[in-house]
Amino acid sequence: MADDKDVLRDVWFGRIPTCFTLNQDEVTEREAEPYYLLLPRVSYLTLVTDKVKKHFLKVMKAEDVEEMWFEYEGTPLKWHYPIGVLFDLHASNTVLPWSITVHFKNFPDRDLLHCPSSSVIEAHFMSSIKEADALKHKSQVVNDMQKKDHKQLWMGLQNDKFDQFWAMNRKLMEYSTEDGGFRYIPFRIYQTMSDRPFIQKLFRPVSPEGNVHTLGDLLKEMYPTALPNDEPLAGTLDQLKSSPTTTTTTTTTTPPCMSDTGALIPPPTP
Amino acid sequence: MSSSVLDEQNFHHCCRLLLQQSEQLKDGWSWEAVQGSEEGYLRKTALRSVVTDSRPVWDHEGSSSESEPHTPCHTGLDQSGLVAPVDADSIEGDIDDEEDEGEDEGACTVSEGSSQVLQYEYHIVYSCSYCTPVLYFRASTLEGKSLSLEEVWSSVHPNFRLRLQNSPLNTITLQEHPLLGQPFFMLHPCRTEEFMRPVLQAAQDQHRPVNYVLSWLSVVGPVVGLDVPLKYSTQLHPTASLSSTKPD
Repeated sequence: MADDKDVLRDVWFGRIPTCFTLNQDEVTEREAEPYYLLLPRVSYLTLVTDKVKKHFLKVMKAEDVEEMWFEYEGTPLKWHYPIGVLFDLHASNTVLPWSITVHFKNFPDRDLLHCPSSSVIEAHFMSSIKEADALKHKSQVVNDMQKKDHKQLWMGLQNDKFDQFWAMNRKLMEYSTEDGGFRYIPFRIYQTMSDRPFIQKLFRPVSPEGNVHTLGDLLKEMYPTALPNDEPLAGTLDQLKSSPTTTTTTTTTTPPCMSDTGALIPPPTP
Repeated sequence: MSSSVLDEQNFHHCCRLLLQQSEQLKDGWSWEAVQGSEEGYLRKTALRSVVTDSRPVWDHEGSSSESEPHTPCHTGLDQSGLVAPVDADSIEGDIDDEEDEGEDEGACTVSEGSSQVLQYEYHIVYSCSYCTPVLYFRASTLEGKSLSLEEVWSSVHPNFRLRLQNSPLNTITLQEHPLLGQPFFMLHPCRTEEFMRPVLQAAQDQHRPVNYVLSWLSVVGPVVGLDVPLKYSTQLHPTASLSSTKPD
């Protein structure tokens, strides 16, 4: 794992330059300037946009302000997806900066979860961590950790502290070599083509014959349409790159060979 | 030795059995398939008449007194704010066996509640991560206005609220439905194995068949107003009901 530290750091410090513009139907006392921010790929929209809110509240009356929510080209953005996933899903083919519209009214509660406080984000994040560990270690590692360890994981994410985060996360990324790896690989394949938000199924790291599974094997089994013509993995990566609506992603606690957002492909450098 | 978890095949089998019984009992469950695949979920809608407590039910998450968020599987819920005094008559009309709970020892003051008819939609979805069924639901007024988490909490019967406080059984949170992508309330599944284990063990010891999904539902359903009539267990079914547990 020490050799992969560079990769881990690159993933952690990935940023997306974003321009936040206030929805033109919002009621303002004077014109609102757009707000620019570098968003961390591994974090969540509602966790990193306090400054955005403050900026727009300066030109609005309190009575015109309800729960803040974000939209891109008409699509409400799900704050509970990592920012990098949102970008890759909706805007990866567009020119940077990413243009997001900010709303303070008409919260779309048929589409978006409410996010009244950061403890809701923390609960969601920890829930993902626990589910991933249920797949990797039958929850044994996460349940053996103390509350303060869980807290450190969260604080590391919230405060953008790589070392603090990974001091705890490495426990969740360990496995005994006798077992051949994690019990199952926690993965989600996000898509925008159907109501179903993502594909998540049980997938072992090793085949019954003892061969280590690759990303190609995973896709072959779970999302074969991403691999037409039985092309080898290298060709597949090119296809994934050009497909705007399919993103393979994993939670932040998976082996470092997979980025947290766009599969094995590094995000386009801004 | 039976396993206290449920694999997907057994989940489907249990659902089919439940569905058969539901049809006989006219209990309203249906199977919704996902895009013509084998996957799907059980679904049921119901009207509930509830008195919603007009008072906020708990110290909202994020209020300054809290150091611990409402993470499921931890301590459960913040004790200080959760049990709001509720008028003892705030009982849903369709749960017959709870009519006599007029004398609620815990209830202190009478609240101003308003009586409403709400539309509930319940889904039973399989979680492959936890190898258990999970209950998702949403609620709205008849005009189609969605209920908030606080409103849902205030319509949970006070006795259940008390139980949820004390046991890490489940917490109700707002989640994205894994098959539909829309916000639903969910009872967190991570403790399911714990409470199902003794049920399955007892059934195994007594050589009695048990429908995992049905037994599980009878525990979690009533918490959120989903009644599971006793007849599910007492009526004879046409097919021999096999034990749904996986023997090791």
